[in-house]
Amino acid sequence: MWQQVELALSQSAHRALVTLANFLPGLLALLLAVLILTVIGALLAALLKRLLTAIRFDERLSKNSLVPLDWAPSHGPTLLVTRAVFWANVVLGFLIGISAFDAAYAGNSQMSFFLLPYLTHSVGAILLFIAGTLLARFLARTVLIEAVNARLQYARFLSVGVKWLVLVLTAATVLDHLEIGGTVVDLAFGILFGGIVLTLSLAIGLGSRDIVSRSLEKNVDDVIPPDPSAYKPPTTSETLRHF
Amino acid sequence: MASSSTNTAAVTQDHPGSPSGINLLFHLSAVSPEALEITLANLAAAFPDQTAFVAIPEIASSNPIQAPENLRLLPYTPAAPSPTSWVLTAADYLNTYKLAQEHNASACLLLSADSHTMQPESIRKLADATLNSSTDLIVSHYHLGAREGLVNSAILYPVTRALFGTKPRFPLAIDLGISLRMAERLATAAQRFTAANQNDALLWPVAEASVAGFTVAEADVPARQIPQPTAADLNALLSQILSSFFTDIDTRASVWQRIRSVVPARTIAPSPEPAEQIDITPMLESFHLAYSNLHEIWALVLPPHTLLGLKRLSVMPPEAFRMADNLWARTVYDFILAYRLRTINRGHLLGALTPLYLAWVASHLMLIQSGVPPERHIEEVAQAFETDKPYLVSRWRWPDRFNP
Repeated sequence: MWQQVELALSQSAHRALVTLANFLPGLLALLLAVLILTVIGALLAALLKRLLTAIRFDERLSKNSLVPLDWAPSHGPTLLVTRAVFWANVVLGFLIGISAFDAAYAGNSQMSFFLLPYLTHSVGAILLFIAGTLLARFLARTVLIEAVNARLQYARFLSVGVKWLVLVLTAATVLDHLEIGGTVVDLAFGILFGGIVLTLSLAIGLGSRDIVSRSLEKNVDDVIPPDPSAYKPPTTSETLRHF
Repeated sequence: MASSSTNTAAVTQDHPGSPSGINLLFHLSAVSPEALEITLANLAAAFPDQTAFVAIPEIASSNPIQAPENLRLLPYTPAAPSPTSWVLTAADYLNTYKLAQEHNASACLLLSADSHTMQPESIRKLADATLNSSTDLIVSHYHLGAREGLVNSAILYPVTRALFGTKPRFPLAIDLGISLRMAERLATAAQRFTAANQNDALLWPVAEASVAGFTVAEADVPARQIPQPTAADLNALLSQILSSFFTDIDTRASVWQRIRSVVPARTIAPSPEPAEQIDITPMLESFHLAYSNLHEIWALVLPPHTLLGLKRLSVMPPEAFRMADNLWARTVYDFILAYRLRTINRGHLLGALTPLYLAWVASHLMLIQSGVPPERHIEEVAQAFETDKPYLVSRWRWPDRFNP
């Protein structure tokens, strides 16, 4: 019996090692493709930067454009072009690597069947995550500044709420894209998203009580004719002329 | 400059070419049909013995009008319609130059909305300064109340004066006298915007004249109703004006960095009595709310020293609230720099400046309520901007060295 256990273990270990040995060349090919194309991208970007700086590309573009282009020094057209070239090479490296990874297995290989979709989807998921995070930050700042300028006391809360709404949406989309979690993600997303919206609604509703009552009082005051003896000249900032 | 002519044929048939003696063109932008008659009467009273062209957009002259004898009306279809009426826009400058060129005018007077409230003497003074001197740009000097034109007093005037070494108190004045060469220069600048369908873009004539090396002067316009923007949202208006202003500063950086001249201090007459009380609480509340919420955004733009100044300001009691002039100057300069560097989104940046501007307004109002003449304080602010100009130049040239 012990011999059978030993045989089963050695066969299992052998199968795992064989699978790993089959898996490694594909992975190595993927990593190598990304690495080589990244190096090529960096070299091309550096060369292009030198060339564009030598021909004064930024100045020529500003002079020839009809409307003055307001490039910032850290975001000039030269930098934009060189970065685009670099990242195009990195993405190309990934595409070649994934293709090589796919080619390293036979069509009916289980490894290829499970890993390849995750690999391709993970690139999309990373892009989605970056875009979602940037959007969340942008919207949070927009809401914060607008709410502060509208003199809303709960400006910070509103901004954080919007930020988490977008982040939760992003996380759900990323997980869905990676096909992780299945219906659990949908359910959790629904609960979280709904919870945040409800919290924000309650907060805004409760926080705006004063504004609503002031507005109602103002309407009532407009209806009742004012007492002339009680007239006072306007002394609020509404009488200021900023322009 | 390429031009597509404005349509004035219907009227100019009676007066082909430029009759001798007519070398002045009035351009009435955004004049309402109701105010047109009063405006024409004022112009006629200002020039009883002189003939002048008066260009009016067709929309304002839809009803038949009996023009005074000495005025030749030029109703025209604007080559570029202007959607904004409370300030002079690129379209106004372009239309004026085209009309001046078509009628061989040697000088132009641009009068903006509500020009019917100007006294004939003021118009005469503006025109005389334009015609009888070699000055290329005559800017109106309005006598506003202590609580009017605050954006101009806080930012536009001191920054323009410090950077370009120019005297005009109202760099964005809405009534201007310009020579033909100045009109051509402004039209060339305007055409870049109108070609991109940005007819309501703002131009900064004082900076334009300074860069071109043209002479600039002021003419007193003591009484005039200043038209107000239709939109009431201060944040949006401030963003619109300052975005154009900061962009203009950015494009002219190579010029203003070399300008070293300092404008001599103006003589300020003492105020007869302290300004009436204004409730500054809403402005202070706005600043305190912003301090507790926007601090992290300000920290991306402002250096530690300025942040410390704002911190001290945030704990000041309302009755002693006072923003130091150099703190305000540095704050504005840092925002100009951040606008150039795109440290954060430009919309966010200008939005984050609004509460700081309101804090300045509150401080200014507190000061004038204590008896300080408003013009004296504005003069001190302008001098603080001049003193701190080297700071802006240094940060502009080496922004990383001063990174907060």
